[in-house]
Parts: sequence; C-alpha cells; structure tokens
Amino acid sequence: MFCLHFLGGSAREWEDTKRYLDPHLICIPLDLPGFGDAAHIARTSVDEMADYVIDRIAERGQSRWWIAGHSMGAKIALVIARRAEDGDPKLAGLDGLVLLAGSPPSPEPMSDDKRRDMIAWISADEKTRTLRAGAFIDQNTGAPLNEAARTAAIDDVLRADPKAWTAWLQEGSREDWRRRIGILRTPALVLSGSKDADLGPAAQICLMLPHLANARHVVIEGASHLLPIECPKAVADLICEMRTLPIAVASDPACVLDSYASLIASHRVNSRLRAALAARASAGSAPYRPCVLDAVEFSILRALIDRVLPQSSDTCIDIGARIEARLSDGFGDGWRFADLPSDGEAYAAALRTLDAAARATHGIGFTALPDETKEALITAVAAGELPTVAGDLDGRQMTKWFEDLRSDAVRIYLAHPAALARLGFSGIGAGGDDVADMPGFSEFRINSREPWEPISEAEAGR
Amino acid sequence: MNLDSMRRYATDEVVDAVVIGTGAGGAPLLARLAAAGLKVVALEAGPNFDPVRFAFDETLADEIYWTEERLSGGTTPEAFGANNSGTGVGGSTLHWGAFTPRADQRDLKLRTETGEGIDWPLDYDDLKPFYEQVEGFIGVSGPAAYPWDSQRRYPLSPVPRNAPARIMAQACEGLGIRVADAPAAVVSRDFAQEGGGTRKACINCGFCHQGCRNGAKTSMDVTYLPLAVAHGAQIRPMCRVHGTERDGMGRITAVTYRQDGTERRQRCAAVFLCAGAVESPRLLLHLGLANGSGQVGRNYMGHVATQVWGTFAGEVRMNRGYPSSLISEDMVRPADADFAGGYLMQSLGVLPLTFGNTVARSRGLWGPALTDYLARYNHFAGIGINGETLPCDANVLTLSDEVDAFGVPKARIDFGYGPNEDRLNDHATRTMTAIWEAAGASDIWVAQRVAHTLGTCRMGRDGDTAVVDPFGRSFEVPNLWISDGSTFPSSLSANPALTIMALSLRTAEAFLRSR
Repeated sequence: MFCLHFLGGSAREWEDTKRYLDPHLICIPLDLPGFGDAAHIARTSVDEMADYVIDRIAERGQSRWWIAGHSMGAKIALVIARRAEDGDPKLAGLDGLVLLAGSPPSPEPMSDDKRRDMIAWISADEKTRTLRAGAFIDQNTGAPLNEAARTAAIDDVLRADPKAWTAWLQEGSREDWRRRIGILRTPALVLSGSKDADLGPAAQICLMLPHLANARHVVIEGASHLLPIECPKAVADLICEMRTLPIAVASDPACVLDSYASLIASHRVNSRLRAALAARASAGSAPYRPCVLDAVEFSILRALIDRVLPQSSDTCIDIGARIEARLSDGFGDGWRFADLPSDGEAYAAALRTLDAAARATHGIGFTALPDETKEALITAVAAGELPTVAGDLDGRQMTKWFEDLRSDAVRIYLAHPAALARLGFSGIGAGGDDVADMPGFSEFRINSREPWEPISEAEAGR
Repeated sequence: MNLDSMRRYATDEVVDAVVIGTGAGGAPLLARLAAAGLKVVALEAGPNFDPVRFAFDETLADEIYWTEERLSGGTTPEAFGANNSGTGVGGSTLHWGAFTPRADQRDLKLRTETGEGIDWPLDYDDLKPFYEQVEGFIGVSGPAAYPWDSQRRYPLSPVPRNAPARIMAQACEGLGIRVADAPAAVVSRDFAQEGGGTRKACINCGFCHQGCRNGAKTSMDVTYLPLAVAHGAQIRPMCRVHGTERDGMGRITAVTYRQDGTERRQRCAAVFLCAGAVESPRLLLHLGLANGSGQVGRNYMGHVATQVWGTFAGEVRMNRGYPSSLISEDMVRPADADFAGGYLMQSLGVLPLTFGNTVARSRGLWGPALTDYLARYNHFAGIGINGETLPCDANVLTLSDEVDAFGVPKARIDFGYGPNEDRLNDHATRTMTAIWEAAGASDIWVAQRVAHTLGTCRMGRDGDTAVVDPFGRSFEVPNLWISDGSTFPSSLSANPALTIMALSLRTAEAFLRSR
C-alpha cells in the first residue's frame, strides 16, 4: 500500500500505522514533492505530484497494490486511481483506495481567512513558524498527541518547502477535478474524524463519496484531521477489515417477480417489448458515469430521488442514472418550460441551488442532511419557498423544475418491469408477434380479471 | 406503410402540388387531389413506420411523438411531445385517441350567440357532407342513435365500453346526465378499407396513443395515404421542409427541404402547408411568408382538458379496452353556465406512464405517498373534458432566439386561461367531481391539463384579419393553402381531428374548382 501524506506531513506520518499493519500489508510511505525528504523537488500542481508518485509506484513494480491518501494525499491518490482505471500501463494492479480525511476532487472547503493566515505564517520568522506549526498540529488533532508524535509532526511542517505549502493552499487544493475524476469503481475505504472541521464526515459524504461507486465510509469518533498520527491502530484495523470484508460492488438490484417474468416470457408479449423490458431490467449493472452532471451534482440528484420516489429494497431502480443518461443523450420530451434553461443546464443549476440552500440553512450539503431536514427543503422547493440567491434558479423556477423531476422519475420508474409487476399491469400482455392473431382484451367489467392477468403486489399481499 | 410501388416524381418536375405534412390535415386532400389525377408529392418530416413494430409500450412510443423541443410559456404552459404533435407518415394520427365528435353547430357561431370569441366563416351545413364522407371512409364506430343529433348515423356499431365508461354511465344515469358510446375512429369489426386492404377489428388493447398495431384505429397511413398512393401520389418520409422559392408574383415555385442531410428542392405549382398549429406558423414566421395580416402565430389555442380521477374499491383495470369509450355532450351548453361555450365529457382509461406523469405533475405527490398511490393503478378511473378556449391576444406563438438542428428558431408558445376558461373549468370540475362522488370514488382529485394545438393561421373572410380564406387559401400567396388545426378561428368544444379531416377534403374541392 503506497501511502501519501497530508499538507505539512511526510512519509514519517505513517510509521505507527505501518507497524500495526505489518505483516498483513506492506506499507510504502512516500514523500510528496516539496515535503519531507523530497522538499527540494519543485512539482506543485496536482498533476505534477501525481506524475511523481506514479513514477515511484512504477519503480516498485508491484503486481497488486493499494493506494492510501491522507488529506492532500487523497486528492493525489484519486487522480492516480482515475489514471489506473483508464488503463495507464504503469498503474496495472490497483486493488483498493484508502482515503483518510481526504481533500476531495472539488475545490477544498476552507475559509479565505484561514488560507491567508496559513500562507502568511509559513514564510514568517523562525519563532513564529515554530509557534504556529505547533498550533496547526494541535488544531488538527482531537485528543492531544503524545510529545514524540507532536514533535515529529511539527518538525515535518517546518521541513516543508514554503513554496510547496503555499502552492497547495493557493492552487492545488483549489483545482477542480470533479469531472476528470468522475466516478471511480475501485473499492474505497473512506475515513473521517468526527471532530474534523473542514474535511469531516459531512464533507466526505457530500464531496468524496459521490466519486466512489463502491465505498465504505467509517467515522472515527473523537478523532480530528490527522488520523494516521492520532489513531494509527484504529486506522490499521479498519484497513485490515477492508481486506477481510471486501466492499460489495454496487449494482442495480431491481428484480422482477417470477410470475410477472413468466408473463413477459409468454406468447402474449411481443418480442420488441420483451427485449426492451429486459434491457431496462439489466441496465445499471455497471457503475454509472454521469456526463452532463458532475459526480457531486449526480449524488445530490440520487439523494433527492431517494426522497421523491422511495423504492422498496427489491425494486431499487437506479432512476438517477437513467435521468442523467437521458440528459446526456439530449433526448427530450418535446417541450420545456420557457423560463427554465435547457434540461441539462436546468438540472445542474437546480441541484446546485438545492445544495446551496442546504449549506445556507444547515451548514452542510444536501446529501449529508438527515431525512427530515431534506424533506423540509423539498417541501420548500415544491412551494416555491426555497431560499435562493442571485445566480441560482429562483423559487418559482425551482418549483417548475421539481415538477419536471417528478415527471422524469415517475416515467422512468413505470417503464421498468419491476414497477409494472408491482402495479399488476396487464397491458403488456395484449398480444404477441402475430398481429393477425392478437388476443387483446375481452373482459371489461369491474372486478373481473382475465385468468392470465397479473395481480398487484398489494393485492397479492392481502 | 408500404411505399414500395408508389409512383415517383423528379424534383425538377413541376408537380401540381406539394403537401407538407401527412397527418389529418394533409392526408385527406393528398388522396383527393391524387384521385382527381393531379401529380402530388407529400413531404413528411418523420419516418415511415410499419405499424407491426408498435409494441404496447409507452416509452417505445416516443418514436411517434414530435419530441423536438418547444418552449412553453404563459400562465398555463402547455405540454407537447406525447401530449400533442406526432411525427412519421400519418402525423399525429399515429398517436391520436381517435375520439371523433363533430363540431356543435352553435360553437361555429359563438360570437353571434354570446358576443364572445369569433364566428367561423362557414356553417355546420358546409361541413356536414364532409363529416359524413370522412366517417364513412375511415370507419367510425358509434351508437345507433346519437342523443344530441337525431339525424346522425355511424357506419359501425360501437366498441365495447371499458370499465371507466361503465362506471361513468351508471353515475350519470343517476344524475340525469345523458351519455352515449363515444364516436371512435376505431373499427369495431373487420373493415374493407377503400384504397387499402382489410383493417382488422379492434382487439381492445388500450394502446391507441402508442400506435395501433393492426390498423383497427384510423391513422392516415392505413386510410387516406394508401388511397393517395393508389392514385399516384408520392410520399417522401424524412423530408424536413425549411424554405420556399417564389417568383416575381409572389407565387411559390419550389419547396426546399433536407433529406438524409442532403438539400433538395421540389418544383411545384401549389403548396399545401399541413404541419399542424405549431410547425405551420413556425415555418411561415421563419420565412416571413403570408403574414401581411400580422395574424400568423396569433390566437394560439389549446383546449381546457381537465381531468378528475378517483379510486374505486373494485379492480377497474383501466388499461383494458378503447380508452375513451363514453361521451356526454350535455355540457356543450349547460343551463347554469356563467361562461360562453361549453365542453364535452369523456370517460378515461389511461396507461401507467401517462397516468403517472399526470400524477407527478398535477397532484404534487412525492415520497411514499407517490409510490403507494401509483401501486393502486388497477383501481383508478377518470373523466376528462374537452372545453372551449376563446381566442385571446396574450396567447401567441413566436420564434424564440434558440435554434434547432436545422437552424430554424424553436417555437415559443405562450398560453394561459382567461376568465371564460377559468369559469368553464370550475363548472366542469364541479360536474365531474359530482359524477365521481355519485359513482362511489374515493380520493378524488383534479388534474389541470391543456390539450391540442389550434389557431395561429386563422381562417376568415378578410385578408386584414385572417391568414387564409374559408377554404384555407392564403390571402397573400395565391398558390399557398393551409390545412390543419392552425386555421381554426376558435377552438370548438369538439376534439379537432375529425373537423381537420373534413376541412381538408373541403379545401381539396375548392382547390380543384379553382384550377
């Protein structure tokens, strides 16, 4: 497992974790350019740092490997995972990602004041530097560190090249990699500390998990931002657990009732419809990669649809992926509200508006909100009362867009054979391929089911 | 439809007429002109479908809807796509509901009767022979005796009543509202189609709006278009008209269009624009053609098409049978009306996606309330209306500043109800709710809806206030005729397609007389 450190850290931050992991997993901590023993190397952009690490990985020639990234290192790890999934021959064999208090693909959430302050003191006089480096380490830990660990961490901060430190704060942490990273399918363990301010659980839910199709997120209670230093044993245990309890690969689990599947297979259903129903039932078995929306917007869409059209666990149709695919195809339904932009733009703008309203009213993004808070925001959207700011869609536009969203979701849902089965819909059985001899319907009275007609799940349950 | 052996014309041959659009406005006159021995070419923007491919599925039916984007504004924005225009040889008759009431003669003289709206520049008696001709030719099924017109006879016996029709009929009987089997352009028995083969009897599949698989439902590709082809007309699918060439007299000499990415030009002596009340005015506005009156695009009308839905204890299974198999014309002039005009009522059986879309948009449900409600599909039935909409200055079709794939500006349609539509809608909502209460429905709710595309190229007697004369001929471009819902001066309470077909034949006769 190649291990990448946080801003101001070095390969040394992994020493305790490495000890707990041995002999299960060989840890290979690396110094990033500008830090630790690589402080003299001036390669400060995300791409340049990734290139540097890729060369180190290639030198080792491991056939199977993982990569772990802590904070700043996580963003580099994500870029490397994207290149590995895209087939970079130097990166064959990537089996897992571990992201600790990771800096997400999006610009990192951090106040301008904090950023300015950190840039100021790193180049100040030696006394100030030492004092502020200590404060920096203390601010990023939950319980106080033991003296040796604290001293080593401060020493690492002071070893860093101030240019690299400043470049990360001004540029690297603000680089927007959302679209380039997209959604990774590599199994990923996401760790966050409950006391971490900027990159804690909510930020991981809203900004990191959207990029990971197969992720397990664990919150370490009491910890803050320096997870490998603060709680190396917990980190090591969770990584070992990931090895023994592999993360399930997500799939579209919607399944069609056997009785309805028999109807679909019967001569009453024509071949074109049968093939279309099969295609709808199988779509979504691979992780979906959005094209029009970025991964974060897409995760908000999915979170919203979970509230708008909740499904039972056995008919869990990935409606969000199908809506996004339609937006990508550009295939519309023949009209749009004149005061909304084009469908793709409207979706992206509306999801950003909803997320901004969540942050403005509750301080965290929509996906990390508890259900009842999500529901309150949705009610406000429907009523045209969502608080919005200039540049977003306004309340009235959000109401119209929400009508479109409900329509899109329902039409995708009801096209799926699992949903039709739930309804007990008999229309698909009106006739097979021989149009000269289609049975159609001959019974029209109330409460008079033709013998072959399916019954709804509600009826079946009585 | 089978076009293999149709006659073909060269693009540099001056044909007698080019017909733009093959729906209810274009197909009847194409057949009539061809039968009179004229050289006619129809240009259809959509593909030529084999009905056998239609598949009893709402999503697969997207291919027969006009899904190029239109912008809907105004206070009651209208949905297009599946709700309205179609594409393909046969136009929107591929997906229409085949509900074929005739215009009420009072609706044609609404201004004289009420001081509201506008009179048509023709009478019911002008239309009646064409109605009879169309009904006989396409095979309309209907009741032996029509309660609101003692003289009317339908050529075929009615299709079976579906469950919503049975529920509505029983409730209306108790309330003293007259009902009848709906006139439907769906053949209730095997039908020998003049100009074509035998159309098989309706199998009551309930998928009229998704394309009829066996030709039981009238669409132009199984009725007027085979007749047209038999008489020597050529139909060219996938031909998108975007321009005209004109001579010094202002007459159109050629129509330009794109087919498979290639620009083509058909020379012609006359043009019939039959692209519907959105695409026809859009093309005219784009070309700056025939708009000396300034009326092109004005007085756009959709019908008030409100629905009332309810849940019934027993299984209704409204997907079975012809969807709108019961009609009432009792509200065409309700005794207690506080509005001009009136409305037709029909029973409704609607398929899951279309119904779910209405629930999602109109009922404002989400969450478990939405999924649980949809799961009760087999217990729903509805009633709907088709209500008069008065022409109005605010309701207008314009060109937006966004262009489509052909470089033509997209249409923007602003539509909203005025006080008359609001009062009519209130009356209809009360009436339908009372019927559903009498029927024992629970969880009754109202879906606001607008349907059909009408107006924008109104017919009249005067070129200063109308685009075409009472026969559909442009006042301004002497060899341009318009035949589709765009020429309607007012909306009528009747669903429009039968009247569009009747007017199409009337236009053809006038054109033949004028030669």
